[in-house]
Amino acid sequence: MKYSFYPGCSMEATAQANLKSTEAVAHALDLQLEEIPDWNCCGATVASGVVGDFTQQVMTGRNLAIAEPKGQDVVTGCSSCYLSLARTNKRFKEDEHFKAMANEALAAGGYQYNGTLRVRQFLEVVISDVGFERITKRIKRSLKGLKVAGYVGCQTVRAIPYEFDDPEYPVMFDRLIESMGAEATAFPMRTRCCGSSHALAGTDIVVDSIHRLFDSAAQGGAQVIVTPCPMCQMNLDAYQQRVNQLRGTNFNMPILFFTQLMAIAFDLPTDAWALKYNIVSPYAALAPYGVR
Amino acid sequence: MEQTNKLPEKVKYDLKFAREIYSLENGSYIKQCMQCGMCAISCATRDIMDYSPRRLFNLIKLGKKDEVMQANTFWYCTSCCTCLVRCPRGVPLVDVMHDLKKYALDNGYGDYPQAAFYKAFWAEVAGRGKSFEGGITARYFLFRGLDEVLKYMALRDVGINMLKHRRLPLLPPKKVKDLGNLKKIIRKARELSGKEAR
Repeated sequence: MKYSFYPGCSMEATAQANLKSTEAVAHALDLQLEEIPDWNCCGATVASGVVGDFTQQVMTGRNLAIAEPKGQDVVTGCSSCYLSLARTNKRFKEDEHFKAMANEALAAGGYQYNGTLRVRQFLEVVISDVGFERITKRIKRSLKGLKVAGYVGCQTVRAIPYEFDDPEYPVMFDRLIESMGAEATAFPMRTRCCGSSHALAGTDIVVDSIHRLFDSAAQGGAQVIVTPCPMCQMNLDAYQQRVNQLRGTNFNMPILFFTQLMAIAFDLPTDAWALKYNIVSPYAALAPYGVR
Repeated sequence: MEQTNKLPEKVKYDLKFAREIYSLENGSYIKQCMQCGMCAISCATRDIMDYSPRRLFNLIKLGKKDEVMQANTFWYCTSCCTCLVRCPRGVPLVDVMHDLKKYALDNGYGDYPQAAFYKAFWAEVAGRGKSFEGGITARYFLFRGLDEVLKYMALRDVGINMLKHRRLPLLPPKKVKDLGNLKKIIRKARELSGKEAR
């Protein structure tokens, strides 16, 4: 299967582990990700606050316009990119007036988008197009007994509610973890916010939010947290030590992208695991499974 | 909670401000709010907000421009979309918050650190076509001044760890090749949305 791939800015910087493991896992599952040429930033959840939704959506629409001639589903590995791309796509499909105006703006740069594509998340592609059965068959390294908290985050399931799973009590991510042979632990806060883009301007918001998440994951007995979202991964990984300093806690919870765990379970080359990017070391938790 | 009691002293209707907000891209949705409070109990950052979204909407309806614009409410929204999926009237609260941020920046209410972050982010994207953490951080501190830099020394461990694990590239990503046309598109879009707010 071929897809048009939108990596997003984070995959080139803070979330390189996401890019490396996603590409490797896609290859192992015969999914061909063809990068959209000369893509631009989707604006995340921030640009709209400066220039308004319309301008941000037009800017995002340029990526869809470039991808359209190929007719392949657009796939992204970032929840925030998904939010921008999928909601923009929906507007192009459902709002004729918006579409006409947006195309008037796109034409200023020589582009046009007719709204014919589907926008999807890599997580959803893995679950729907590959399926749990094929994933289980592909497992070469048993993760039996590994206790994993599946942190779905917010935008993955709420950008387009019910498109993929329940927006508040999603179940698919846990099923994916179990299809990898690991144990999905009870984690009631699995869709609770991580503090999002406040890491710089509102550190307290992030510290407070992720403290609650660690508490909830630890209560369920998790050894690692796994997430599809680069923003969640960064906040939980980079600010964990800060939570321990400020709150007198002692969390030592590795935060992996689900694609990293898949790369390990598939026994792909260690490069594909991309564990050197993890700030909280995952090696102690994964040592019993031969990860070193 | 203390902030629940924060009410304007005198109720004086000033519909000019309300009409201005209603005319923003998603502003008319505010009229649909029936004050049920679902957004308030759903919000991830409600505890530290001056007013919950529904209270903010009420203040807009009353025309309380300064109270609304000086509130931290829309700056503290994390776009987690919980309110969005729960609102029984289908108000796209996250989009409304975007409008309020934009309106605040356009009208000189940009004192919150988040406002500096938003401006820094946009400056990077507009200039390069892609966002670059290093550039955003530098611009953010430029906007906020030296005091803020000193405050962030407490966070140096976070930065050092990020650098150590090769997660903060020091060089920016390559600019979008077709940046000239991207800029033309953005200029045209801003012109169009200014002409016709929906």
